[in-house]
Amino acid sequence: MSRYTVLNLGPVHPSIHGILRFRVKLNEEIIEDVDITIGFLHRNAEKICELNIYANNIIYFDRMDYLDAMNMELGYVTAVEKLTGIEAPERAQWIRMIMAELNRLAARLVGLGAFGLDMGMLTPFFHCFAEREKIQKIFVEASGGRQEVNYISIGGVYQDFNEKIINDIREFSKNFKKRLEDIYNMFIHSEIFWQRNDGIGILEPDVALDYGVTGPLLRGSGIAYDVRKDAPYLFYDKVNFDVPISHRKDNIGRFVLKIEEMRQSIRIIDQCLDKIPDGPYFNNKAKKSLMLRVKGDGEVFSRVESDNGEFGVYVRGDNTVKPYRVHVRSPAFKNISVVPVMARGLMIADLIVIIGSIDTVIGEIDR
Amino acid sequence: MVATVKEVKIPKKPIPVIGSLQTMYNIGRFMFKKPVTVQYPEDKGEIPERFRFRIFLSPEACIGCTLCEQVCPNHSIKMEVWKIDEEAKPKGDVVIETARGARENLQNKRHIYPDVNFGTCTVCRNCEEICPTDAIYLTHQFEDARTRNSFTYSPKELTMQEDEVIK
Amino acid sequence: MNLLIRIHDWFSFLGPGVSYGIAYLLETIFILIFVGISFMALIYVFRKYMARIQLRIGPNRVGKYGLLQVVADAFKLIGKESILPANRDDLAYRLAPLIIMMTTMVSFVIIPYGSLAYFGSLTITHSDVTLVLLFGVLSLLPIGEILAGISTKSNYALLGALRGVAKDVSFEVPMLISALAIIMISSRSFITGAQTYNSLSLAGIVENQVIPYGIIDPLGLLIFYISMVARASFTPFDLAESDSELITGYTTEYSGMRFGLFYIGLFGMVYLGSFFVSILYLGAYNGPASSDLGFIYLFIKTIILVLIAFLAWVSLPRIRVDKFVNLGWKYLLPISIINLVYAGLFVLYIR
Repeated sequence: MSRYTVLNLGPVHPSIHGILRFRVKLNEEIIEDVDITIGFLHRNAEKICELNIYANNIIYFDRMDYLDAMNMELGYVTAVEKLTGIEAPERAQWIRMIMAELNRLAARLVGLGAFGLDMGMLTPFFHCFAEREKIQKIFVEASGGRQEVNYISIGGVYQDFNEKIINDIREFSKNFKKRLEDIYNMFIHSEIFWQRNDGIGILEPDVALDYGVTGPLLRGSGIAYDVRKDAPYLFYDKVNFDVPISHRKDNIGRFVLKIEEMRQSIRIIDQCLDKIPDGPYFNNKAKKSLMLRVKGDGEVFSRVESDNGEFGVYVRGDNTVKPYRVHVRSPAFKNISVVPVMARGLMIADLIVIIGSIDTVIGEIDR
Repeated sequence: MVATVKEVKIPKKPIPVIGSLQTMYNIGRFMFKKPVTVQYPEDKGEIPERFRFRIFLSPEACIGCTLCEQVCPNHSIKMEVWKIDEEAKPKGDVVIETARGARENLQNKRHIYPDVNFGTCTVCRNCEEICPTDAIYLTHQFEDARTRNSFTYSPKELTMQEDEVIK
Repeated sequence: MNLLIRIHDWFSFLGPGVSYGIAYLLETIFILIFVGISFMALIYVFRKYMARIQLRIGPNRVGKYGLLQVVADAFKLIGKESILPANRDDLAYRLAPLIIMMTTMVSFVIIPYGSLAYFGSLTITHSDVTLVLLFGVLSLLPIGEILAGISTKSNYALLGALRGVAKDVSFEVPMLISALAIIMISSRSFITGAQTYNSLSLAGIVENQVIPYGIIDPLGLLIFYISMVARASFTPFDLAESDSELITGYTTEYSGMRFGLFYIGLFGMVYLGSFFVSILYLGAYNGPASSDLGFIYLFIKTIILVLIAFLAWVSLPRIRVDKFVNLGWKYLLPISIINLVYAGLFVLYIR
């Protein structure tokens, strides 16, 4: 027994992304076992959602994956729209698509920067945040909020795109392609980066399926599953994009795959900007004053592809103004539960890199 | 128009030492780029038109319909009785000034106005969107640091500018 | 004109014993103050440099262009409460930062700084074996690290100390063997081929260095520089205080000025190591123009080396501990032995 050291990483630790606790059983520096404790950021969001009218729950979804707020809102709003039968106009749906992809980029950038910090690279973090700041400026321009945007509302979006926003996005997408290659080059040419990631964090496809892992982590194991491809929502079936997969199953494969997905996101945004039609941005049935009286009946499940994977929202209405039950299928929870499998037998420094490569957001795990 | 599955191309493994030197060049060359940070108190940057923060209230327009209270997602808004006209009357020799010479809306028979707790406000803009008379509105003002016990703004303080509110 | 002699002349009325004592003391204080100020300037440069690479501005509030930021930080650290962990080993806990700091400080006294126009030669320790002395002093560092690690009974500190000692031990050997190659090369005069008798002293090595030994022995320069950066625990090799897994390693339980002493030790070590490299391999205070400005040459060479180390700090990821120790024992040690053989052949050839 005394051969083992128990090292406690977290709840407050410089490189755990958020407040999450890992109890690591160490044999010298080799990991024997990892025990994960969650729940330090539990805010009871699902229960609170039962106490509010449908339109008001959006801000609680903003605060689940706080880095990827648009996709969280999108998941909830599509569920409620299915439940209440309020359709969003076509223009609103294109706007939502652009915003969702922009926010996916923003969340990925934070993940990349933190991944660098976990390995001790200080600089990429700042470059990633400089780019993310540009996305957030677009968000402020459109919605008035930087991170917790509250932009997508039931039956449309908060406000229409104007010329300035569209120009901003065009300019951003033009510059970002070059900046993304800059950031990519900061990582990939270093042989120490390869040493830290090559063959580290192997996740076999069958293990990934057993744990219900989705998102880049699953695609990095060679299984091409993307909600945008397999169950297209919005107009994802009307744009061209690649779903990259990697059969390497390790951190390097996932890293390159994430970068490739960012390139695809930019591609989707460019196509959306060309295809966005004129028209109303809001369904008049869904004005806020009417939302106080909107009733939902039955049960729906809606899913979107968030930054971390398949984000599903289950809403059940009992013909009152408030939902009877809201439940969230959180991708980050499934992804983080596979860490002990990936980390066993590696060293303590590898555990940190694996957590960085999975890139979880604790707000979404604990809700 | 269907998404296609594609295997990513993994680059070649770099050569030791040379790879590190290349990374050092790739990062070091940013030394002569312009900084992107903003020096905050001197340079506030430009605030976009839709940026929203501090809530204001125009008592002339408020009809006391309590819609903002109902729509507030985390119950930051409570309705509170505030009799402007009585307050404006001279008491003895001293005339108590109301904020910006506010007058009461005659339709607001119950004299109730919103009272906002900024400690829990998430700036979701629901109150602004739902207000039928545009009495409650959000502004660009965002510099309102407070101590822990003074987050709650009474209706009177909601009509004042930040430097007039003495907490 | 030697600075020592100059000060000695001022106090010569006190008799030779006392005046030499005062002269040595004053010279040491002078050098330490000078090193301290340049050291603070170095931290300022580091912060500005790092900021510019990261698209930031860096310190610019305290004083003109933020020049006084380092002073402000020092006062902040002194003013902070020093939190002592409850079940510590008190003596070891208090001793560890002092050992680290004093080791670095004493090492600066051994360096020959060359000459400066008015002051004259700035060499304090006129020993014949300063190279050995410097290695001896530097070998005290692991003691400070291990004391800091085990005195607080924290797992992070313990793992950090183990890594720190592994680092020091495994990189000292290639460092010493590369220095040995330099001693061999330096033991024969480059021009006449005659035997020299001062190749164990740093000043003697510089004297013999007609062309920089880095050109003759580039492999040794690389090994020595990498080992130096590793012993200074700069980022590719900063496993001992790797902030992503071990908070700050063996300094985890330290706060206030005690932490500041470790910080001085860290930056002082890379500064000292750069002096060391530029003395052994880059010709130190030898330069194209008159030797009155020797100090300036040494300083420029040192700063360039430090800036390269800083660039590595901001750009490279951290090596994992097993790969790191492998680098020391499996790669650098064999290469340095090959380098030693090469140096021997070189000495035979020029003879």
